[in-house]
Amino acid sequence: MQNKDKSIILQNLKESSAEWINGQGPLSDIVISSRIRLARNVEGIPFSPRAEQAELKNIFELSRQIVEEDSLFKDSNLLLLDELTPLESQFLVEKHLISIYHAQEKHPYRGCVFNQKETLSVMVNEEDHFRIQYLLSGLQLNNIWKLINKIDDEIEKKVTYAFSEKEGYLTSCPTNVGTGMRASIMLHLPALAMVNGINDIFRAISKIGYVVRGFYGEGTEVMGNLFQVSNQITLGLSEEEIIDNLEKVNQQIINKEQKVRKELLSNSKSQLEDQAWRAYGILSSARIISSAEAMELLSKLRFGVGLGIIPHPNLGTLNKLMLLIQPAYLQMLTGKDLDHLGRDLQRAVLIRNEINR
Amino acid sequence: MLCQICKTKEAAITFTKIVGGQKTEIHLCKDCASTFSDKFSIFPLPQFDINDLLADLLNAIDLYHKEEGVISGKKIECSNCHLTYDEFKQSGKLGCSVCYHDFREQLTPLLRRLHGNSEHLGKIPRQSKGKLNKIRKIKQLRKELQKLVLKEEYEKAAKTRDEILKLEGVLKKKNAK
Repeated sequence: MQNKDKSIILQNLKESSAEWINGQGPLSDIVISSRIRLARNVEGIPFSPRAEQAELKNIFELSRQIVEEDSLFKDSNLLLLDELTPLESQFLVEKHLISIYHAQEKHPYRGCVFNQKETLSVMVNEEDHFRIQYLLSGLQLNNIWKLINKIDDEIEKKVTYAFSEKEGYLTSCPTNVGTGMRASIMLHLPALAMVNGINDIFRAISKIGYVVRGFYGEGTEVMGNLFQVSNQITLGLSEEEIIDNLEKVNQQIINKEQKVRKELLSNSKSQLEDQAWRAYGILSSARIISSAEAMELLSKLRFGVGLGIIPHPNLGTLNKLMLLIQPAYLQMLTGKDLDHLGRDLQRAVLIRNEINR
Repeated sequence: MLCQICKTKEAAITFTKIVGGQKTEIHLCKDCASTFSDKFSIFPLPQFDINDLLADLLNAIDLYHKEEGVISGKKIECSNCHLTYDEFKQSGKLGCSVCYHDFREQLTPLLRRLHGNSEHLGKIPRQSKGKLNKIRKIKQLRKELQKLVLKEEYEKAAKTRDEILKLEGVLKKKNAK
């Protein structure tokens, strides 16, 4: 474990940029990131929403002990959400370190463990005792599985997981039982969106057990043509099968996006250039910008960069901006509460600084 | 057909909602459709809430059970955390690992509908690995034992029986711990 001081941990978080948004993983022009999360509970203690305060404390102290003693967590931090302001919790949500549910839930001893690169995070006492998540840039679910499987084994050395031979890993919600695994891939699909090809694809894949969400997770709207595709089925398949199926489905979507990109490039190159440069123009000079407009323009610019129309800024900067422009992140960076206009002004400053760098 | 909201313009777009096999359709003109979809954010993606699905499934399964007379009127409760089955139906969340055991009769059809399956085939925790492997080994040895008895190879059968007893002893000791 690294620091113990909350303010130092948060200060570092403000300054750091997560590795999974660096835009350098496989197929990064289309795939922003891959993610796997495992839901795990400790045998003999009720699931967090139904646990007594002493039991929640038990789980939290257990996670502290693991983080302090295990070398896999040597560069990790542990935050107790009870000690954070609503803005600071929301900031963790926007960083993709915790879920909205975890930030808003009222029971005490909710924790968040995360490593320096922000690739690994563990939500303590969310709906389940542990929600272990691992994120990497681009399409690399298999690598993530190897890493997270090892972490899972390591935690298991210290605790006995709630497990049954029949239903597998037991979870608070029966939609997660079995492997407890949710794998997801974040896709940027501006070309398919341009030709109105998105709905057909997602309608088809929802019929075969996949869920599509927006960039900011469960219950959020789609912005900036970013889509998160994840498995719904967690029981009756092995982890490898879930990953393999999800990759296959995503590969098909990626192929379609690539095909449409090629067609657009050969038929409407001037329009694409115009669109990308206009986006660049506004983003590099606007003084007031809403998050919706920023996301739309960042998507257009990202599309242009992915196609090689615009050389600058790189994918990593654009990915980073998509996170930075969120309300709590913005306010954490400026260090004060901002009203609507204040945020739109500050957002414009931030984008200009990053893009004109 | 006229738009069902403004009732003046011609309907151009149909929204179809299917919940638990119940299909509802709304016919709207282009203008009303865009405000409608903004308001209910059903575009560009059909919003999918897993908890709605769960609630629908639970009710459907309940209805099926009632019709089949499987569920009597008695209250089902977890023997460990005392969560009632009705509470589970409302929240969609189980209380503890024992709930899976105590509600198994109700949960198995639900799991089958949610996942298309109700048996775990994935990773096994290390602590359970030995135990699970032993259970599998015992099952296999019992089959062998039957064959040996049929073949009247009593000496070998006795050895197999001793092996089964030994493995069962180990399991019992573990469970007692």
